[in-house]
Amino acid sequence: MTAYIIRRLLFLIFVLFGVSVLIFGLLMTFSPERRAAVYVTTPQQAKDIPKLVKQYGLNDPVPIQYARWVKEVASGNLGWSLVAARPVAKAFWSYFPTTLELNLLASPLVIIVGIWLGTLAGVHRDTWIDHGTRIGAIVGWSLPTFLFALVLLMIFYGYYGLFPPGIISSDTSLWVINNPDKFTRYTGMYTIDGILNGHLWVTWDALNHLVLPVLTQVIVVVALLMRVMRSGMLEELSRDYVITAKAKGADAHTINIKHARKNALIPVITVAGQLVALSMEGSIAVEVVFSRQGMGWWLAHSATQLDMPVLMSVCMFIGVVFVLSNLIIDIMYAYIDPRIQLQ
Amino acid sequence: MAKLLETKNLVTNFYTYEGSVKALDNVSISIDHGETFGLVGESGCGKSVTVRSVMRIIQSPGVIEGGEVLYCDDAEHPEQCEDLLIKSEEAMRELRGDRISMIFQEPNAALNPVLTIGEQVAESYMFHRQRSMSRQILADVESGKISFGIFSPLLKWAYRRASENPRAPALRLMSKLPLLKLWGRPMRREAVNRSVGIIERLGISNAAELVTRYPHNLSGGMKQRIVIAIALACNPTLLIADEATSNLDVTIQAQILELLQDLKERRAISSVLLITHDLGVVAETCDRVGVMYAGILCEVADVKTLFNNPVHPYTRALLNSVPRFCVEGELATIEGSVPNLVHPPAGCRFHPRCKAASDICKQEKPKLVDLGNGHSVACHHIDEKIGE
Amino acid sequence: MEATLPTKKEHPRWRELKFTLYRIFRNPSAILGFSLLLFFLGVAVAAPHLAPPKFEHAPYQMPHKGYSPTPKPPSAANIFGTSSGQYDIYYGIVWGARTAFKIGLFVVGFAGIIGISLGVIAGYFGGWFDELLMRFVDIVWSIPLLVLAMTIVVAFGRGLENIMLALALVEWRWYVRVIRSEVIKLRGQEFVEAAKLMGVSDIKIIFRHILPNSIYPVLIMASMDMGSMVISASFMSFVGLGAPKGYADWGQMVALARNYIVGPPDDPLKFWYTIFFPGISIILFVLAWNLIGDALRDAFDPKLRRR
Repeated sequence: MTAYIIRRLLFLIFVLFGVSVLIFGLLMTFSPERRAAVYVTTPQQAKDIPKLVKQYGLNDPVPIQYARWVKEVASGNLGWSLVAARPVAKAFWSYFPTTLELNLLASPLVIIVGIWLGTLAGVHRDTWIDHGTRIGAIVGWSLPTFLFALVLLMIFYGYYGLFPPGIISSDTSLWVINNPDKFTRYTGMYTIDGILNGHLWVTWDALNHLVLPVLTQVIVVVALLMRVMRSGMLEELSRDYVITAKAKGADAHTINIKHARKNALIPVITVAGQLVALSMEGSIAVEVVFSRQGMGWWLAHSATQLDMPVLMSVCMFIGVVFVLSNLIIDIMYAYIDPRIQLQ
Repeated sequence: MAKLLETKNLVTNFYTYEGSVKALDNVSISIDHGETFGLVGESGCGKSVTVRSVMRIIQSPGVIEGGEVLYCDDAEHPEQCEDLLIKSEEAMRELRGDRISMIFQEPNAALNPVLTIGEQVAESYMFHRQRSMSRQILADVESGKISFGIFSPLLKWAYRRASENPRAPALRLMSKLPLLKLWGRPMRREAVNRSVGIIERLGISNAAELVTRYPHNLSGGMKQRIVIAIALACNPTLLIADEATSNLDVTIQAQILELLQDLKERRAISSVLLITHDLGVVAETCDRVGVMYAGILCEVADVKTLFNNPVHPYTRALLNSVPRFCVEGELATIEGSVPNLVHPPAGCRFHPRCKAASDICKQEKPKLVDLGNGHSVACHHIDEKIGE
Repeated sequence: MEATLPTKKEHPRWRELKFTLYRIFRNPSAILGFSLLLFFLGVAVAAPHLAPPKFEHAPYQMPHKGYSPTPKPPSAANIFGTSSGQYDIYYGIVWGARTAFKIGLFVVGFAGIIGISLGVIAGYFGGWFDELLMRFVDIVWSIPLLVLAMTIVVAFGRGLENIMLALALVEWRWYVRVIRSEVIKLRGQEFVEAAKLMGVSDIKIIFRHILPNSIYPVLIMASMDMGSMVISASFMSFVGLGAPKGYADWGQMVALARNYIVGPPDDPLKFWYTIFFPGISIILFVLAWNLIGDALRDAFDPKLRRR
């Protein structure tokens, strides 16, 4: 087990190296002059671009530039973010909690609802429950996240005046800024900080802003899980051990939950990586539409400003998160399926 | 001997894309208390469907269309029979695994890969022996053998309730609540203890260690013993062995058959319904034999009569196709192939392959005719065949 | 032997195909999916007649009268209304159907061809090429589609063509993985081994035995991808990486509607038409492909067949 984890961490280093080469290669498609523009902050400096190219060695051979860049990154200098008007590393810590908060709330809901509905559909095959969930899954799968988010915003916020966009209302935000002695930003997530500081109204306010984003995220991601769970249940319920259990005198509930569902979870784990990727993509659209300043929002806005340093860092970061979550998924796999031995 | 199980004109169909598969056509067999009954025939002839219909565990898209399955648990009172096909599903559940249980063909598939052996055997007790286990725990607590510390009053109350009615609403509610649901733990432990006992009785020495393992750690023969342990856990009256030994090595096969014989002698089980396509196994173990072909029952007789005086042309052909040591020359085979049961042959289902077939065989279904001594045959040409 | 199925004399592949088609068209979702698809196809083909372009050389440029930022409701002149900047929504929907087909067909075709050819070669021959390719796929795999595609678009420059290219350059990884695992499964099977022993050439084995037996999962995936690629492309258009303002692209039209989803306080849903028409077009287009993909999956799944 330990050997397996160490091997996977070595794999992580390999992936990170690969991602960095890939992204750096993309950056090299820019002309040196365009890359020099990154260092320009005022219009007067524009005429200094040839000088900047020389100063930063932007015409050097690619491997040398890559080595230089890796050295910079290793020393913690990830570059400057135009969107955040801050260094990338600093901006990261202000954006990351927002995205984490969204997914901490949405993921358990996705897992619970997806497994529950998928099981239900599989057990009640070809009944209206099954058809209903299937249609729901296909429609959910067909909804573009950003469009669904816009429609929710239009109906709930526009028509009913509920669940405003943003992370938190401006009054609360001002109060938090003006009272640093009463409100410490331990985690950067308003919901949790509100509880930790004993100001539950802040938590309430933040949750109010989270309802629609979480709902969007759940609806869009849950469809995949539901579908895999359903077909897993169908397959498992046709297996011989189900008949054995029946012949033992097992009731339908025991057969469905204790016997079939535990086995049906195994294929679900194989798509867990896909679910993580889907959540990451979903976060981009959700944050853009609901104006939540998180990683997705930052990424999308940096992209529209052609801010390559940020994109590179975000890609690296997402690579780390993705490989680590796959490691966790593999460990869970071995836990659920006794036939698997990690080595 | 008193009757234990009797099927009357059992009809089961499977509804598929190609059409309805007439898997069973009026199958009538009967098994006595204390008897070993063999059901033979080629694969796909409906042996498994027959016993699965008896236990009502036919998987979709199969449907039992008609007939009766009479089950008489009490040998002393043969008039108290019940039709299993009209019983409620709940009553059937209580019967399955308790009074009638089944051993399956493929031990690899018959065990759930993600549950431990102990859990799977213990289920038999958890489904059928909650009362007696509760009584035992209660007695153990009262005699001071086990103690639950400060929880004793609560658990004593729970097990007293459970020994009266294990499905009491209060207990069901407790099982759903956090922490309180731990009340069932001692019972599960007891069920696993009993599982260790039954596995040991099947001649496995390291049972206590075995129950913590998963099916994939076990050899095929070992898995088959576990499947048997599951079936035997509650001392069933009727044990159905559906090709229980077909996929095993010959040596293990012999061991398992001996085991069944031994269990019967020790009265752990009363009757055995043995499904097989191996005529050698039948000759060695069975008292009476039924021969099936393409969803119909061709011939029933005691084992000696069947092997010495077979009447039905199919039985004869089947016996001829068994390889023998002392006979030289080419092995006899049955011409043609098993018919598709979506469009079974009209009349006698065997007629396209029967050498003795005449016009009447193509038109009329033969009825099962009793020739005396429990020997019945479904063939239009009985008279010509007897004594041939 | 009168006791056999009447259909038995047919060629088994033909019989199998007939059964598959029966399964597909017995499924109501497939019928709905194909009808929707036919509708969009009709709109895309007949676009020049349904909405004659103002300038022959730039048919994808939506015509607009005036520059007022406030959308106008449906009227006789603009039956779906006009969006911010007075672009005719009806025109955009009609020509947007062509854009959607263009995106889907290009991305799926490009990704499919690269993915299938690399996947078959890697899976069938194995060796160092397989190892190298799969490690590369591992690297690309660690970044979600949208993130990597956006990065590529930034590198190549904004525009619909670059969005399509970027999506294709990321999406092929799926096709490689799926077809490779299918090919590896088939490679070890007896009929392939037998063909090899008989001296059949590798090319022939691939085209005769491997591809026909491994293509179904790819077909299902391609169908679903037609929809999800249009979603991804429209999102990138929405955030402003795609076509310039006024280009007939549904995602870009939703972007035009974005500031008008909430109307004045007395009539909050005043500008519903700006988001409704492009939005419903995207959803129905994607739904059509997903319904078809779902029906295909049901029809091809060996475990769910024969029921």
